[in-house]
Amino acid sequence: MQLQLFVIILFLFSPLVPQENAGQFFSSGHTNNWAVLVCTSRFWFNYRHVANTLSVYRSVKRLGIPDSHIVLMLADDMACNHRNPKPATVFSHKNMELNVYGDDVEVDYRGYEVTVENFLRVLTGRLPPSTPRSKRLLSDDRSNILIYLTGHGGNGFLKFQDSEEISNVELADAFEQMWQKRRYNELLFIIDTCQGASMYERFYSPNLMALASSQVGEDSLSHQPDLAIGVHLMDRYTFYLLEFLEDIHPSSKANMNDLFKVCPKSQCVSTPGHRTDLFLRDPGSALITDFFGSVRKVEITMETINLTEPIQQVEQNFVNEERQKETYSYVDQLPVSEIIHQKPKQKDWHPPDGFILGLWTLILLVFFKTYGMKHLKHIF
Amino acid sequence: MAAPLTLLLLVAVTVRAALYRSSLADLISERVEVVSPLTAWKRVVEGLALLDLGVSPYSGDVFHETPLIIYLFHFLVDYAEITFMLADVITAVALYLSVKDYNKQVFRKQKYALEADRYPLDCLELIRSPKEMQYIPLKVAMFYLLNPFTILSCVAKSTCGLNNAVIALFVLSTIKGNVLLSAIFLSLATYQSIYPLTLCAAALLYLLQRQYIPVNLRRFSFWWFVAQYAFMYLGSLFVIVGLSFFLLGSWDFLPSVYGFILSVPDLTPNIGLFWYFFAEMFEHFRLFFLCVFQINVFFYTVPLSIKLKEHPVFLIFMQLAVISIFKSYPTVGDIALYMAFLPVWSHLHRFLRNIFLVSCVLLACSALFPVLWHLWIYAGSANSNFYYAITLLFNVAQILLVSDYFYAFLRREHHLSHGLYLKRKDGSEATLVLK
Repeated sequence: MQLQLFVIILFLFSPLVPQENAGQFFSSGHTNNWAVLVCTSRFWFNYRHVANTLSVYRSVKRLGIPDSHIVLMLADDMACNHRNPKPATVFSHKNMELNVYGDDVEVDYRGYEVTVENFLRVLTGRLPPSTPRSKRLLSDDRSNILIYLTGHGGNGFLKFQDSEEISNVELADAFEQMWQKRRYNELLFIIDTCQGASMYERFYSPNLMALASSQVGEDSLSHQPDLAIGVHLMDRYTFYLLEFLEDIHPSSKANMNDLFKVCPKSQCVSTPGHRTDLFLRDPGSALITDFFGSVRKVEITMETINLTEPIQQVEQNFVNEERQKETYSYVDQLPVSEIIHQKPKQKDWHPPDGFILGLWTLILLVFFKTYGMKHLKHIF
Repeated sequence: MAAPLTLLLLVAVTVRAALYRSSLADLISERVEVVSPLTAWKRVVEGLALLDLGVSPYSGDVFHETPLIIYLFHFLVDYAEITFMLADVITAVALYLSVKDYNKQVFRKQKYALEADRYPLDCLELIRSPKEMQYIPLKVAMFYLLNPFTILSCVAKSTCGLNNAVIALFVLSTIKGNVLLSAIFLSLATYQSIYPLTLCAAALLYLLQRQYIPVNLRRFSFWWFVAQYAFMYLGSLFVIVGLSFFLLGSWDFLPSVYGFILSVPDLTPNIGLFWYFFAEMFEHFRLFFLCVFQINVFFYTVPLSIKLKEHPVFLIFMQLAVISIFKSYPTVGDIALYMAFLPVWSHLHRFLRNIFLVSCVLLACSALFPVLWHLWIYAGSANSNFYYAITLLFNVAQILLVSDYFYAFLRREHHLSHGLYLKRKDGSEATLVLK
């Protein structure tokens, strides 16, 4: 009896629920999600940057973004590094036992391909035609993109693989190019480096939200080292970010304001910063899953839709044995035969008669003036 | 003299006809040294074809010759070869007759000067005799007709041959003293390419001399004659331009012909100096350099006519040379015309200093033109600088030739008035330097 009441109430209220869900489904304005995860360091002692990136990669995959929509750029020299005591593994700090490497990690740019030029080309889409799809950021103007950068940085720059650097101005210009080419709807930029906030200082394109692990003048610190492996396994900011993300599931309603509270100074030692002035929506209305998850656009409908009737066979009339033959003929469109066989009349140009008259009169006049009028009598 | 001249004409016509029938005719008519965008035969044909299709021949930067050429070739396009051979023949005969007359005058003047005892005693070896001057007209005709440059120009059917014919007729009528014909032919020559305008001064000087009107700016008779000549010249020029308008019914031949010559839009390489400069020049300075280059052609008229006012025929020669070197689209046909005059000054040979160098350079450059063109355009192992270097060298050699003759002429005149063996004030031997 109570169960029946419950079911009746559910049925009463059920029309409302899909509407609400439908409303929330379409609030953010994006239709697909992309992620660009970049680890800009190489060499064994930068193990933690690779672990950072791979952990974020795992979370983002777990929350729904498929590999085809993730551009992962790693130096990828950790798992098979000869200094790795546990080969083919990259541990993150979660319980010191979560191997974030494995068969299903698809690294798109590895080793020496992680360069500033490639990164900017991925962002702006200006890649040579031979680049495979997995290496391209094929976003459109309804894409929400998550960009995560980690490595060694300074005030206004980020070091790429110990040989070059990208400045905050270049990054801002790249985002402006993306905006002008309609390559994103909204973009979340997370950076975990020393003095990370300097990297988002110069942004000027709309719909950008940025988070950084430390302010200008501060260093981002790493979490505890693992004594078995011998290096630090993760950075603090990313560690607490991942702890936060562990509680997020695809239908979670957590918004950006919660993300800004991740890793306070007590835990991170550095002061994380964020920038929302370029973001057109209220950060409170932007869900975590808008960037970290992937939207599946589902349209809920309660209507029944009639499919079209199957194609009916045309019945052949065999009324009379002698069927009336309709003679068909082509409609006269252009008098083609007349056009083909008609050549334009070649009108030869002739000098005007007045010209000929004038010219020869003058010539004769000059002739007679020169040689005297006595020749005239020979003509007339 | 008629028989050798006829023989020469026959030989020349035979050579040209033989070349016309050979396969070289097509090859030659494409060479940039021989034809220019102004004078190319295929452009004339193109212009006539456009006219037959009902389009103005000046549309589309194809045809840059004057409408009278259209009129001429409308009827003669099938006989083009004969027309050009005839033009060469007319040029040669006109030059022959004019040089014969000029020689008579030179000799007569010399006779008067000898009788008036105006020559110092030691320069008697500079005096010319009729015997040495007997073959000069024939040599002039030969120089023109058998010059490889002329033959190439004729075989290529370049309208330069017609221009040369008109200028030669102008020279003939000037030397004969016919003011009206001289003005008419000069206006025809100017009508076809603007540069013969500079020959006005030379013609004026000669005709004044012939009519014994002293060249004195304060005398009325001088200005009256200048006014007459200018009236005839400008009048006939206007008449011809007006006739051209009536031929085609529009004025678009003015920018196509004169605008083209003056503003040099086409930078096809040729043996002149304009193309390379204007190819590498910034747009900003183009007008300035255009004015500089064009003024350069006209500029030498005034100083040369002041210096050579007693020798107008030499002035004509110098002016023709200056035009051929400095015009915007020179071809070898222009060079052939002034080179035809060289036998007239053959008595200057003892005063010419650079003749060996000049002739070697001219020969070498003429040989190198097709070589470097091939290397640049076809082999790709040279570039435009090579070709331009040869062009420069060729023009420098021509300038050296002309200035050498100028020096020799003036030196001879100086010797005739001051004696052959010049002495300085202290009695030692002096040398004469052209400053």
